Amino acid sequence: MNSRRASCALGFGVALLALLAGSVFTASWLSPDDPLAMNVGARLQQPGMEHWLGTDRFGRDILTRTLHGGQTTLISCGLALLSAVLIGMLLGALAGMFHGSVFDIVLMRIIDVLLAFPFMVFAMVIAALFGTSLFHLLFAVVVVWWVSFARLTRSLVFQAKNSTAVDAARVLGTSNTVILFRELLPQALGPVLVLATFELGNLILAIAALSFLGLGSQPPSPEWGSMLADGRAHFMTAPHVLLGPALWIILTVLAFNCIGEGLRDRMDPYEKARIG
Amino acid sequence: MKIVDGQKEKLRIEQLEVSYPQEGAMQTALKSVTFTLYEGEILSLLGESGSGKSTVAKTLIGLLPSSATVRSGTLILSGHSSIDLSRPSTSWSEIRGRGVAMLFQDARLALNPMMKIREHFRETLHAHRLASKEQIASISEHWLTRLGFTDPSTILNAYPHELSGGMCQRVCLALTLCLRPQVLIADEPTSALDTVNQREVLHLLQSLQRELGLTVLLITHDIALAEALSHRVIVLNEGRIVESGLTSQVLREPSHDYTRQLLASRDLTSDAKAISPPDASSLLTIRNLFKTYDAEQPILSGVNVQLHVGEIIGILGQSGCGKSTLARCVVGLEHAQSGTIHFRRQDITHAKGSARRRLARHIQLVFQDARASLNPRFSALELVQTPLHAFRVGDRKERLERARYLLEEVGITGAAQHRRPPQLSTGQCQRVAIARALALQPEVLICDEAVSALDMSVQAQILELLQRLHRQFGFSILMISHDVRVLRAFCHRIAVMHEGRFVEFLQGNRLSSGEHAHTRLLLQGADEPESV
Repeated sequence: MNSRRASCALGFGVALLALLAGSVFTASWLSPDDPLAMNVGARLQQPGMEHWLGTDRFGRDILTRTLHGGQTTLISCGLALLSAVLIGMLLGALAGMFHGSVFDIVLMRIIDVLLAFPFMVFAMVIAALFGTSLFHLLFAVVVVWWVSFARLTRSLVFQAKNSTAVDAARVLGTSNTVILFRELLPQALGPVLVLATFELGNLILAIAALSFLGLGSQPPSPEWGSMLADGRAHFMTAPHVLLGPALWIILTVLAFNCIGEGLRDRMDPYEKARIG
Repeated sequence: MKIVDGQKEKLRIEQLEVSYPQEGAMQTALKSVTFTLYEGEILSLLGESGSGKSTVAKTLIGLLPSSATVRSGTLILSGHSSIDLSRPSTSWSEIRGRGVAMLFQDARLALNPMMKIREHFRETLHAHRLASKEQIASISEHWLTRLGFTDPSTILNAYPHELSGGMCQRVCLALTLCLRPQVLIADEPTSALDTVNQREVLHLLQSLQRELGLTVLLITHDIALAEALSHRVIVLNEGRIVESGLTSQVLREPSHDYTRQLLASRDLTSDAKAISPPDASSLLTIRNLFKTYDAEQPILSGVNVQLHVGEIIGILGQSGCGKSTLARCVVGLEHAQSGTIHFRRQDITHAKGSARRRLARHIQLVFQDARASLNPRFSALELVQTPLHAFRVGDRKERLERARYLLEEVGITGAAQHRRPPQLSTGQCQRVAIARALALQPEVLICDEAVSALDMSVQAQILELLQRLHRQFGFSILMISHDVRVLRAFCHRIAVMHEGRFVEFLQGNRLSSGEHAHTRLLLQGADEPESV
C-alpha cells in the first residue's frame, strides 16, 4: 500500500478517535445534564435546539446519554481488549517457541474448542450462572477473545523462530528469554496490534450486541448497546432515538479501522527505511 | 565471432530513462540508455547490483513495478511499430512471449508450483494460440528433448519441486523457445545454480543459440560468463552505459576506468605470504560425523577433519553436498546422529542449553545472507553489542567502545554505525555480521558462503578484510563455498566435499593437482568456460 495513504489513514483515525474520546470523557462538562434525569413531558422529542439529538421514551436527552454511555463502552472495551491481547500474546508466544510440545498441543486444542463455541451462547451461560452485569460480560468476552491473538502470535513466533536472524542470535549465545523478547515478539507485535485495532471494532459491536440483548450494563445507566435496544420499540415512530449511539459506534469503529490500516505499514521496519 | 556489417537489427532501444522514488525524491535508475541488438548475436549487459541492468530487462518486457517512472524511451522491435515506453498504454501481450521472451534468474520461482510441467506448456502454447490440443504434447516433448531431457514424458508429468534447479531452468528455456521468440532476455540465468548445473545450462544455451540463430540479451554480473558466451558487451554503471563494443575488445583492452576496476576485482590474487601459517596444535577435530534426515540419503556420511590453530580450511562442494549442515552441526544449531566434534579436548557434539551457549565464545558463524541474519530493528552498533550483552562482557560503556572499535575495523565508520540493516548495502551488512561474529574474540570462525551473494568487487573487499582480520586476531577459519575462485585465493587447505563426505584434501595453491573425479568436475566448472 502507498505509504503516504497509510499515514493519512493513521492521522485521520487518530484525529477521529481523539475527537470521539474527547467528547466522551469530557461529557459531564460538555453536557452537564443528568443522563438519568427523566422528563416524561418531553418524551420522544425530535432533534431540535433544546435537545440536539432528541429525547428517548423517558424524555432523557439522547446526546447526553450517548456521551456519558461512551465512557462505559470505551473503557470496558479497552480493558477487555488489553487483557485479551496480553493473555493471547503470552500464551501464543510460548506455544510458538515450544512448538510441538505438550503445552502447545493442549493450548491449540483448547483454542479449537473455544473457536467452535458460539460466543453469544457462552456469554449467556456466564450471565445465567453469575447474573447479568458489565463485569461478567467482560469476563465472557476476554475468555473467548484471546484465542485469535494467541493463534496469530504463535504462528508468527514459530515462523520467526526458523529464520536466519534467530539462528544467528543462537550462534551468538543469546539466551532463550532474550531471543523471545528481542527477536520473536517484536516480529509478532506489529500484526497483533493491527489485528487488535480491527478486533476493537468487533468488540464494541459485540458488547453493544450483548447489551442490546440485556446481558451487559443494566438500565438505567446508559451504554451504547443498551440504548439501541431501548430505542428499538420506537424505531418506526421515532427513528432518531437510534441516531446518537449508532453514529458514535460507527465513527469509533471507523477510527480504529483507519488506525489499524495505518499501523500495518508503520510497523514494517523495511517500509520505514524506504520512507527515510 | 565477428559482426557482419549491415546485419539486420532485431531490437533497438533509444534514450531510455527510468527513475524510482527513493527517500522522498526520484532517483534515476537509467540515464539515456541506447543500444541495438542484431539478429543472431548474444549481447551481454554487464554490471554490478544496482547498476540498473535488471531495470533494462524489465522495461523491455513491460514488467517494471508501478512505482517506476519511464521518463522517455523508444523500443523498436523488428516487425512491430515503434513503442513509446513513456506512455502506459502499450499492449504488451502482443510483444511478450513471441516478440520478447524472458528467462528468469530463479527458474524454480518462475514456475507455478501447483502446475505440472505439462500444464505449463499447455498454458504457454494456448495463450499464443500456437497449437491445437493434439499438437501440444508433441511440441512440448520435442522441445524438452532438444534441451537434453532423455525422458520428456516423465518430466511433463512432474511438478517443479520434483526437479532440480538446473532442470527447472532448462524447462523454462524450453517454455520460452517453443514460442520462437524474436529476442530472448536471459536475466542472470545461471547465478542461482551451482557450477555443474551452470555449465550444463550454459552449454545448452550456447548450442541452441547457434542452431536456431537466437538473438539473446544476456544480463549478468559475471565477467567470465559474458566473455565466454557473448559477441558484444555493454558495461553498465549507475544507470549509464560506460563502455560497449566487441567482447574481446572491451574485456581485453578496456578503455573506461570502471571496466578496468571490474576486471581487476575478478582476479582474487593474494600472495601466500599474506596468510600467516597455521600452528601445529589442533583446535577443532571432527570424527566420522554422520547425519541424516531420512534413512535413504544421509546428509553427512562420515566427515573427518582437523582444524589447527590459525589455519584456514576451505570446504568446496556443490549445493546439497552437506556443507551447510556441517557448519550448523559445529555451532550446535543441529546435532549429528553419530560421530564426534571436539573443540580442544571438550566433546561438543551434543552440546545443548547453556553448554551450547558457552560455545559462542569460541566458535562463530557468518551466514550467507547477511541481511537476513541481522535483526532489522537494531542499528549496526546495537547489533555488534548483542553478543557482548549476552555474556555480560564489560559495562555499558566498554561494550559500546568495543562495538565502535570492531565496526571501524571492518570499515563501517561515522553515521553508518547508527544505520539499521535496511539502510545498509549488502556488503555493509556482511561487514556488520563479521564484526558481530568477532565481538567475542572466537577462536574459530565459520564462513558459510559468506561472500557468494555479493558483487565481485565487494567479494574481493570482504575477502581482503577477512585476511587482514585473520592476520590481526589469529583465529582459524572454516571457509565454506561452492566457488573455487574464492577458496583458491584464501585457504591453506581445501577439502572437497561430495555426497556428505570429504573426498580429497588439497593444498590451497595446488588445487589443480586434484585427482578425485569430483574435484576435477568442480574445477572444470570453475575454470573459464570454453569460449565461443
